[in-house]
Amino acid sequence: MKDLKHIYYLENLLQDSCNDLVKKARQKGKIAVGSVCSLIPEPLLNLPGCFSVRLRAPRTGSIEMGTYYMTSIMCELSRAFLERAIEGGYGYLDCIIAPDACAQMNRCVENIEHLNLCSNEKFFITYSDVPMKSDDTALRHYVRQMKKYVLEPLEHVYNIDVSDHALRTAVENHNQVSALLMKIGEFRAEENVKITGYEFAVLCLATYCCPKEELISILEETLEEVKNREPDLKNPYRARVVMVGSEIDDPDLIKLTEEAGALVVADRYCFGSFPGREQIAINESEDVLTQICRHYMITEQCPRYMNTEKIYQRHDYVDKLAKKFRADGIIYEQIKFCDYWGYERAFAGKIMREKFGYPVLSVDRPYVVGNSGQLRTRVQAFVESIEIKKIRNH
Amino acid sequence: MKYFGGCDAGSTYTKCVIIDENGKIAAAVTNRSRINPVLSAQDALSEAVLKVNDLQKAEDLTYLIGTGYGRNKVPFADENISEISCHAMGVHVVNPDINAVIDIGGQDVKGIAIDSDGTVLNFAMNDKCAAGTGRFFETMANAFEMSLEEFSKLSLKAKNIIPITAQCTVFAESEVISLVGEGKPMEEIAAGIEMSVAKRCFVMAKKAGAVDRVTLTGGCAKNDGLKEAIEKVLKLKVIDLDIDPQIIGALGAAEFARMKG
Repeated sequence: MKDLKHIYYLENLLQDSCNDLVKKARQKGKIAVGSVCSLIPEPLLNLPGCFSVRLRAPRTGSIEMGTYYMTSIMCELSRAFLERAIEGGYGYLDCIIAPDACAQMNRCVENIEHLNLCSNEKFFITYSDVPMKSDDTALRHYVRQMKKYVLEPLEHVYNIDVSDHALRTAVENHNQVSALLMKIGEFRAEENVKITGYEFAVLCLATYCCPKEELISILEETLEEVKNREPDLKNPYRARVVMVGSEIDDPDLIKLTEEAGALVVADRYCFGSFPGREQIAINESEDVLTQICRHYMITEQCPRYMNTEKIYQRHDYVDKLAKKFRADGIIYEQIKFCDYWGYERAFAGKIMREKFGYPVLSVDRPYVVGNSGQLRTRVQAFVESIEIKKIRNH
Repeated sequence: MKYFGGCDAGSTYTKCVIIDENGKIAAAVTNRSRINPVLSAQDALSEAVLKVNDLQKAEDLTYLIGTGYGRNKVPFADENISEISCHAMGVHVVNPDINAVIDIGGQDVKGIAIDSDGTVLNFAMNDKCAAGTGRFFETMANAFEMSLEEFSKLSLKAKNIIPITAQCTVFAESEVISLVGEGKPMEEIAAGIEMSVAKRCFVMAKKAGAVDRVTLTGGCAKNDGLKEAIEKVLKLKVIDLDIDPQIIGALGAAEFARMKG
């Protein structure tokens, strides 16, 4: 297939946390809000006058400094973020909004605060308690926490408008970008590949790491391009998979998977589009904050939610994605030492294999995968086993 | 007569097997790998082809499959297949009764459960760390100032096992040097090293669901001390193969070539 017009630009953009679009938005006087977790609703961080940047540590090498503060038993993602902060990579941020969701990431953010690694004059960090269960009590608590630790600090420190009207505007903008991205993503369900999982991962990641309004024209053009794109005559992929798991903030992992023969047709991981890029429906009768929080509480697929309904919902969700995108198998991945995904990967991997009947590859990986020969071999062997099952079934 | 080739471009050794249309081995070559997998594969292929009268060059093979870490660098290969699938198939053609493999190569350890037709049922594999691999043994043998063969026989003489706590190759080496410095019996330290690798193999085998009728493949399968340690931890008798366990991956690749060609 012909390369997508904007793919190289976006790939380059993703080489740095403080990329050109972030710099451009800051020059316009917008507040850069650092985000470290999907449990803080994105529209709250993208109110008029501010924009969210989901933290990443692209081009990570050694994480020795991060490990010094965090110890080697913490997940490499949180250590890499701290390393990048020590290197000065997040100095541009005006604040970091962190939920008290993952103890390891919290230790990272606390170290950023303790070591004073972001020096903007009014820089602040907040920590909020986000729900582990999905019910009305949890929702009331969620709303209070978001008000107290997200909206009020933004209003008091940076004079950000946090009214219902401003929240509605933020949701509209969020929905506009999400709708474009999801329309592009729908092409992954087609038999003939018009967009690869890697290309989609680049587009999707950009929407987490750049001011969204700066991406609208790029996404619009890409949508038209993909609609008219001629697929390759010979499909180079031998199996279709759903990628499920913890943070994948490096599209090279998706590229490696696809080079080993497995086309990633659906992205059910942190930084992916399922969930995160669906429309947020809001009505006129209820306050917007409650509606946003409810949406996030219901749609969130993070294994930090521990009530039984949510656990079952996660399996069903992956099953639905696999059916919709006609996946042959599922890859469960996690970054080493991730508390939540450690359990989820082991448990859900078994359930999806034994109860739902999918071939499952379970991968425990370092933060930086690079060109891992071992991972490539594992994915290729998985693809070969899927292929053989297909042949047998025929 | 048609001939089919499998070339296993491993990190430490490159193996090449040529079989005829009946599946009989016509040539087998094992060479130390060079830094460039293309050159390693080229050398092994040329050497193997020379052993078959009907063949002049690698291109004369009806179908050739590359496997191993350098599988996509094998010259003239029609396709490449992961070493996991190839080891399963290779073992199956040698002994169809075996349903599990522990493959210990130069840079990785794999547990593979095999289906009744030689395909992979499940597998587990180590990640980047070289603990418990051929590299680990090379480092340990170097520390003992012995060849790999001498080292593998040494542990068989041990009456006791001195446990090695470090899994990391580098730390294990310093632990071994300290133990030698303390004057501990060399054969008991060697038995401890074999046991530490055997435990790693145990994990891979269990993760893959390998429970009985197990064999060993890869270069380390020739290590008798390791074999004995694995039998101890798995509490079963490892099945010996009738051919060199180091060429099993290449043989599996050649068998796939025969099926596809």
